[in-house]
Amino acid sequence: MKLLLKFFIAVGGIILASSLPVLIAGWLQKEWRWKIYFESIQTTLQELWPINEIAFFNYRAQRPMPLFPNVFEYITYSLQILFLALLVAVIVSLGLTIITMLLSEKARERVKMALYFLESVPDLLIIMLAQLAVVLFFKQTGILISQIAAVGDDRIYWLPVLCLAILPTIQLYRLAMLTFQEEERQMYVDLARALGFSKVYIVLVHMFRNAIISVFFQSKKTMWFMLSNLFILELMFNLPGIMLFLRDNMYPAGFLVTVFSFFLPMFFLYSFGEWYFVRRMRGKGEV
Amino acid sequence: MWKQPYFVIGFSIIAFFLAGSFVYEWIWGNVPRQIYYIMEGGRAVEGAPISPNWQFPLGSDEFGYDLVGKLMLGAKYTILAALAVGALRMLIAVPLGYILGTYLDKHRKWISSLADSMHYIPLTLFAAFVLTPVLWMPQEGFTNTIWERIGIQVVIMALLTVPIVAILIANEAALLRDKEFILAAKTLGAGRLRIIRKHLYPQMREKIAVLYGQQVMETFIVFAHLGLLKLFLGGTKVSYDPMFGDPPMSISYEWAGLFGSTFRYLQSAPWLPLAPVLFIGLTIFAVSMMMEGYLRSKNPKVKKLRKAKVEEPAVEWNREQLRNNMVRIKEQEMIKAEK
Repeated sequence: MKLLLKFFIAVGGIILASSLPVLIAGWLQKEWRWKIYFESIQTTLQELWPINEIAFFNYRAQRPMPLFPNVFEYITYSLQILFLALLVAVIVSLGLTIITMLLSEKARERVKMALYFLESVPDLLIIMLAQLAVVLFFKQTGILISQIAAVGDDRIYWLPVLCLAILPTIQLYRLAMLTFQEEERQMYVDLARALGFSKVYIVLVHMFRNAIISVFFQSKKTMWFMLSNLFILELMFNLPGIMLFLRDNMYPAGFLVTVFSFFLPMFFLYSFGEWYFVRRMRGKGEV
Repeated sequence: MWKQPYFVIGFSIIAFFLAGSFVYEWIWGNVPRQIYYIMEGGRAVEGAPISPNWQFPLGSDEFGYDLVGKLMLGAKYTILAALAVGALRMLIAVPLGYILGTYLDKHRKWISSLADSMHYIPLTLFAAFVLTPVLWMPQEGFTNTIWERIGIQVVIMALLTVPIVAILIANEAALLRDKEFILAAKTLGAGRLRIIRKHLYPQMREKIAVLYGQQVMETFIVFAHLGLLKLFLGGTKVSYDPMFGDPPMSISYEWAGLFGSTFRYLQSAPWLPLAPVLFIGLTIFAVSMMMEGYLRSKNPKVKKLRKAKVEEPAVEWNREQLRNNMVRIKEQEMIKAEK
């Protein structure tokens, strides 16, 4: 019930945001266009109603196309890249964290410091360097590792996923390091150590279970950051994804469709995660 | 703070860009030097765009303008705008957050889930969507001046994530409010305003400073992203000429524009888009260095940890004294009991 309320509040917030340009355009003329704003929201919602009749202009095909099932392909492609990158980032960062936790205190501090400064690398730089590197490699050896831009409706996977995953990996790695170190100060770790469990076992079994919860709750910001990156990635690789589609449909209805295509899966992922972890924590409390 | 090497290095990088930008304009004017081709032994060996060499460290663009000059001239716009966006955002969000955390605490839950919906809208996308009517030149040309547009852009970009930052501060304030020292102050009759001013704000000063740094870094990234979308700081000059239309251009030499308008040369003249992004990255790096230095000057945790391991002689001496006294008291008690 609470979840449903939260869902509707979030949906409301997104709908309110979708017509903001109208207000701002009015603001430029030094007037408040509240009436036009609410009218714009109304017409946008009406446009969306018979959901299988929505049509958007597709610049690849140079003609309007219905939302289902055509645009849906773009959405699934974008989501595939996003979640693949997320999966890679989570696995790599947690793996690296566990390895780093086994190192000495001094080495850990150095790794954390390096990560902190690595976070300031702009995503654009990573993508451009990756593209340049692929071309350079091709010129040197004649082997094309991956295409650097999608032509037509081609789908390229591993290079975009790699580019998208690098920065979130660094962020999650640092986040996980901080959480694990926090966890290490807890009493039960001392107890486990006193009982003679090895360091690897404690980190892998005991600390991992507890730290993962707080990493999950803090990962929302990383997700938000990844969404922006995905947008840029699709532009730079010319991927046939939902973000590129939005660029050609920069009006409220297009904005709503795009945002909802991310919002729905992400909201369910986070709600499910929250429900699962909260239940587990509660279960532990009762025992 | 000024003794922290990290802070000083970060600060000097930013100060160098800013001061250099103004000095460059003061000495050489606001047009960078232009060269069409390089002569070597009486023959032209390379035409514009010239690749990086000793005379032009970062090469030149497709019209022969020196890239270092362009970057230096543009530094002030980008850096000052990003600093202003962060500052304005904090100025609005901090009081708002405190009000939410103290006066409107009952409504904090639902307001925070409303602000939470922002986390599903990619920031760049949202900024581009909202800023397009401001920055994209209409067919009949801009009606307002460049400074007005920069001002509007800064205000809008500052407002975009105010809800998220305000909620962050409100939650933090709500956590602090249940602490004993605040309860004590309340019992002594302190009003809400006084608690905010004298207790909550000093407690959170460091967090707010770090948050400011993060906002500035985020703003740089969003500027660069907007540049890729051809939405430049201070507006995009669009040529509506159907035959000889120029590509969209930035009006000033700000970095996002330098990057966005040359991105298509990535393969043929990679220094053109790479240099502005490198400069943006360097500035972000400088900001994060300043943050780290600031934090270290406020709580030298690293040093304390090492000291804690070594037993302090004073502590040891105190313990010894305590032990002796305890023994003496015990002896006296025993003597009394015997009597």
